Amino acid sequence: MIRFDNVSVTYRGGVKALRNIDLTIEDGEFVVIVGLSGAGKSTLLRALNGLVPATGGSIDFNGTEVVGASAAEMREIRSDMGMIFQTFNLALRTTVINNVLMGRLSYVPAWRSTFGLWPAEERVKAMQALERVGIVDKAYVRASDLSGGQQQRVGIARALAQEPKVMLADEPVAALDPVTSRHVMGDLQRINQDLGITTLVNLHFLDLAREYGRRLIGLRDGYLVYDGDIDDVDDQTFMEIYGRAITEEDLMAGVELADHEADEAAAEVADE
Amino acid sequence: MTDLAAPTAGAEWPTRPRPRIRSFVIFAALVVFTIYAGREVGFTLSTSWEIWTNPLWEKFWPVPWDWVLTRENVFDPLIETFQIAIVSTIIGCSLAMPISFAMSRLTAPNRPTYYVSKSVMNVVRAVPDLFWAKLLVTAIGIGAFAGAWALSIFSLAVMVKLFSETIDGADPRPLEAAQAAGGRHTPSVRMGVLPTVFPAYVAYALYVFELNIRASIVLGLVGAGGVGRVVEAQRQFFRFDRILGILIIIFCVVFVIEQISVALRRRLV
Repeated sequence: MIRFDNVSVTYRGGVKALRNIDLTIEDGEFVVIVGLSGAGKSTLLRALNGLVPATGGSIDFNGTEVVGASAAEMREIRSDMGMIFQTFNLALRTTVINNVLMGRLSYVPAWRSTFGLWPAEERVKAMQALERVGIVDKAYVRASDLSGGQQQRVGIARALAQEPKVMLADEPVAALDPVTSRHVMGDLQRINQDLGITTLVNLHFLDLAREYGRRLIGLRDGYLVYDGDIDDVDDQTFMEIYGRAITEEDLMAGVELADHEADEAAAEVADE
Repeated sequence: MTDLAAPTAGAEWPTRPRPRIRSFVIFAALVVFTIYAGREVGFTLSTSWEIWTNPLWEKFWPVPWDWVLTRENVFDPLIETFQIAIVSTIIGCSLAMPISFAMSRLTAPNRPTYYVSKSVMNVVRAVPDLFWAKLLVTAIGIGAFAGAWALSIFSLAVMVKLFSETIDGADPRPLEAAQAAGGRHTPSVRMGVLPTVFPAYVAYALYVFELNIRASIVLGLVGAGGVGRVVEAQRQFFRFDRILGILIIIFCVVFVIEQISVALRRRLV
């Protein structure tokens, strides 16, 4: 369970990114967080895994206090939280498998990972994570040779390799085309349903939020302005979160292509 | 979409700006300063002419190739030069790897390490390589050993400067990902940053090797081993014809090495 209690984040320079957030997320939930850019979505996820230190309040993660945790405690907390990034954040000049092994960093001694002496069972775990997202055949390909969609699936595999309890996805599809976006969102949905991993996803496309989310959280200027079931959300709610009318740009207005094969074909085309 | 505008004769074009007065001023200042500096050091065209008409130059010809093209006179010392360059490149560049990571804001484990390593390396770099060689020759005696140590220090100083600045400019995002996975500092840097900067590291190491080949010749002049010591010995006997022969051989060897190095580096970056 995750509990934010009166959490605030003020950046150096005085920008208040989060203001007095109270929030409880139960195990196994699939939560979508929406809001304009600068509303604090990214900060919310990063406060949870300590990449951005909270400057006030307390964050409880399964009984451990995140705010003010020591370096060792923080590594422990982070090893339970996989993170997926808008820009994928892969080391592009090395192989896919090496990127996925990053997810196993907290499980092996520092000297082993520093000198690249990964135990065989860690490599097996990495390969299995790649299998989950369907690109195990690319294991020994350089990450830079993959398409955007494939790179994001490597990012997901890296997070999965951690065997996390929580998955934090920061705008995971913002850099992807509509078809690939649905594929990636589908992966996240299955990870949540099949593996029971609590999932928090930042999105800025409202239609995607509605399609995949179960619970919706709205942020505006660092305040939590909406928290409720996705089925109760209408355009009026989005207008309140965004502080303006909904425009075309807030919607992916997607190509409807649920077919898995079509996704694969598109990914292949993108790969060429 | 608006239609393309029709071209005109230029009634409404902006006027071309006048050349800036500042550039003329800078050019004039350079001319004045050059003349002033030349006067101060006693540089005149007539003395320069005297240098080039000095009978010394006649002593460079003809080259005694039968003396030059022998193992004991040139090739063995040249191989020693090579050995010095290779050993010092390997020692200097190996040490430079961890120190460069400590010297970059992106990858330094903490503030004190960053400032201490940066300051120490600034001091090391401030001492010229020839001075290092003199110092080490005095400390551990004439020979290739002193030369190898002097050049190792020189390689380290050059390498950390180039490589730490490359690390500064590396993509920080994979590092963030490694830290988000709960990685410790060193393995996170290894997995998240090293792959990005490693090709540059190899390219710089090749470049440092080129520098070391040339520098190890110069260092020989102060007694630090290699072919430079032969040049110095022959200079003392005024055998400039032999020196010219050695220089031609060195030129050919350095040229070939540089071509190989440049070709390798181009493939890396």
